[in-house]
Amino acid sequence: MREINAITKVGVIVITIILIIAVVGGVLYWYTSIGPAAPRKVKIAVVSDIGGRGDLSFNDMAFKGGDEAERDFGIEMVELVSKVEADYVPNLEIGAKDPDVKLIVGVGFLLSDALVQVALKYPDKNFAGIDTYSQEIVKEKYPDKYPLPNLMDIKFEEHKGSALVGAVGCLLAAYYNEKGGSYPYIGGVFGIEIPVLWKFEIGYKWGCDWALKWYEKKFGRKAPIIGEDSRYGSGPNWKDGMYCPPETPGQCWYKGRVLWTYTGTFSDITKGYEAAKPMYAKGAIAVYNIAGPLGLGINQAVREIAEARGLKMGPPFWIGVDANQDWINPGFVIVSMMKRVDKGVYYATKLVLEGKFRDVVKQYNGVLTLGIGTTVMGTPMEGISASTLKDLDEFIQMGIEAEKLVGKKVLPMSPEEIKSKVKEMRESVASWIWDALAELEDKIRKGEVEVPLAFTKDAIDYWRNILG
Amino acid sequence: MAKSSKNFQKFYHIYFLFNKTYVWRRPFGEDRMLGTFSKLKKPILETLIAILIGFIGGAVLMIIFRYDPITAYVALFQGTLLSVDGIFESLANAVPLMLTGLTFAIGVRSGYFNVGAEGQAYIGAMGAVVLAGSISLPPGIHVLATTLFAMIVGALWSLPVSALKAWRGVHEVVSTIMLNWIALYLVRYLIEYYYYEPGRAERALPALPTARYDVIGASLTTFIFVAIGFIVLTYFILWRTTLGYELRLTGSNPEAARYVGVNYVKIVFLNFFIGGLAAGLAGASQVIGRPPAWTIYKTLGNVINLGFNGIGVALIGRNHPFGIIFSSIFLGILLYGSRFMQYLGVDPDLTVAINGIIVLSLSLPELYSIIRKHIVGGR
Repeated sequence: MREINAITKVGVIVITIILIIAVVGGVLYWYTSIGPAAPRKVKIAVVSDIGGRGDLSFNDMAFKGGDEAERDFGIEMVELVSKVEADYVPNLEIGAKDPDVKLIVGVGFLLSDALVQVALKYPDKNFAGIDTYSQEIVKEKYPDKYPLPNLMDIKFEEHKGSALVGAVGCLLAAYYNEKGGSYPYIGGVFGIEIPVLWKFEIGYKWGCDWALKWYEKKFGRKAPIIGEDSRYGSGPNWKDGMYCPPETPGQCWYKGRVLWTYTGTFSDITKGYEAAKPMYAKGAIAVYNIAGPLGLGINQAVREIAEARGLKMGPPFWIGVDANQDWINPGFVIVSMMKRVDKGVYYATKLVLEGKFRDVVKQYNGVLTLGIGTTVMGTPMEGISASTLKDLDEFIQMGIEAEKLVGKKVLPMSPEEIKSKVKEMRESVASWIWDALAELEDKIRKGEVEVPLAFTKDAIDYWRNILG
Repeated sequence: MAKSSKNFQKFYHIYFLFNKTYVWRRPFGEDRMLGTFSKLKKPILETLIAILIGFIGGAVLMIIFRYDPITAYVALFQGTLLSVDGIFESLANAVPLMLTGLTFAIGVRSGYFNVGAEGQAYIGAMGAVVLAGSISLPPGIHVLATTLFAMIVGALWSLPVSALKAWRGVHEVVSTIMLNWIALYLVRYLIEYYYYEPGRAERALPALPTARYDVIGASLTTFIFVAIGFIVLTYFILWRTTLGYELRLTGSNPEAARYVGVNYVKIVFLNFFIGGLAAGLAGASQVIGRPPAWTIYKTLGNVINLGFNGIGVALIGRNHPFGIIFSSIFLGILLYGSRFMQYLGVDPDLTVAINGIIVLSLSLPELYSIIRKHIVGGR
């Protein structure tokens, strides 16, 4: 009796399994057999790195660029947020498999390997990476395929942007020293010592030197303290606080004006604080954040000083990076070096839609460098600038959206308050500082000055010898 | 003798209360006549119902947030089961989970709630990085040495848990969770200062080509055979050796085990050690058995949650080694497939919630039986 019962039960289970399989299979078949009906919109797929949405920096900016492309070109953007590193390849692939997707963008250098792997597998699709070095990987691993025709690394001329903010920093010191302050330095807090950061470092130091020379020319005297003091060095090659090395005959440099520290981390915020604090103690008027989230540590150091002295506005200041970070602590972030990741996505989409993507890849060996005054095939494509009041709105908007996404307070005060405070801060310093910034930007754009690009060990050693 | 019969009565009583038929048959060995399938039919039926409930729960969630659940589920299974890459990716996701699942399952089999797979996997991955990334060995030997080394360091990480448990009575949940955090920061420290890839500070040294398993397709490597082999081996130890019998007896009736002379300290150490081997292997799978990175990131993003997901895998798989293989593949499908739902516009965080509902509803039957045993069994 029991055995018969068991057999019946077994039968029921078997039938249930068959039924479930049949239903699932039927639904799948029904859905797959509905073919594409009408011509559909062109799509782009944007794959974030693990920072994901709401990081207020890289990823948010990339999606912002996609939104702008949607608006201007009538395309559709598909967003794919990577939760873990293992998501990169599958997320890029899912975009590549969709026949409507014409461009797949990987955001951030973390996706470099994944982009190479997927781009090799889908030669008909176009791939772009923001800040990636995929083509270098191709060159190393598949030299016969270099440059891969469907893969574009989008890079930025960070050295030029760093020169702009370096100039602002040193002129700021000059201005406050005129008013009786004592600010002999500017500072820079760096992450891990990798070649990309050398670009920032030398650009920043060079910008300071340019600015002090500009001051000398404009006012007919050396900038107080930071321009004339002899604390920076002495010896046979030193003259009036400047270093005149045999390598550059007849040319002298404002050496040693920048205090700099490589913290060895891009994530340990306390290291940012520890590095910035002694810089402010030595009299740095502004500290440049070149270590991502460590900026929050620098901000912490500034906040402590402001609280101790009851300041509502700098000095001391700090300098933002990548996004417009002026709103993070309004009144204490003098300027930001903006790297327009959004423009990178936007221009890549534009090139794909105009059918120029692969020509550009071919012409530039797979690397599109956006900077100041960049033109690509006759179209201006800039990607680096110093923050202005005007673009503050866009980034406050990004903060508002991030607040919605993460459900936490992101903005330190209301948007109107932020704007008025930043405006007040900018107006509180001499207008010639901003004039100088505009002039330097213009000169870089016209090619009248060239910011040194240090990307090799030799170059960095050379420039450190000259600029300190 | 008196103690034995008391134990038997207790044992009998518990099962009689909750599952009359089970106990009724068992002492007389009648269930043997019904064959293997009848032993499996209840769990299979429960699992099918749980799958159904889970998917309906996920669908309700999607309807609440105005997404089309049918399209989303179709996309999920189309992307994972109807393409070769999808199958490979799902299996690649399953590989570490079946191992961490095993860690938890062995623990439960001996009556322990071992949630230490998480940290042991970090340590295993770090061990793999050290040997695979910074030391040159001849091909073949390098793979073997790295695999074994990762397993051993993973297992060594379990020793404090066993020692505290065996000699000081510290509950394993407390000690494993603490050690998980220690492992996290230790590994981050080692990568940050010693084992980072020069010029690629975001990650550790990648495994040298000689230490890598062969790629079968997509992200799947031959590591899967090592994982399955380890599971089969564990099955034999648990069900075909005296040692395994002692391990299981300790779990099902600790007092009886002690009475028949099972060495408690030995069982504790052995159980956590085998669990640690499995978890260490799971960590290694992400370094020497998974392209394209062949290393761990400083965020530990590609090993984080392996241990905790393993708990779900073990519960779905009824804490049985072979059940775990299937449940890990199932979870692998969900983890890989959620991006297809995301692609249709379903919010990425919602896809995690949908997966969570499905996994939770699938875990409930086993979870219920564990809780029942612990509370009523009075351990």
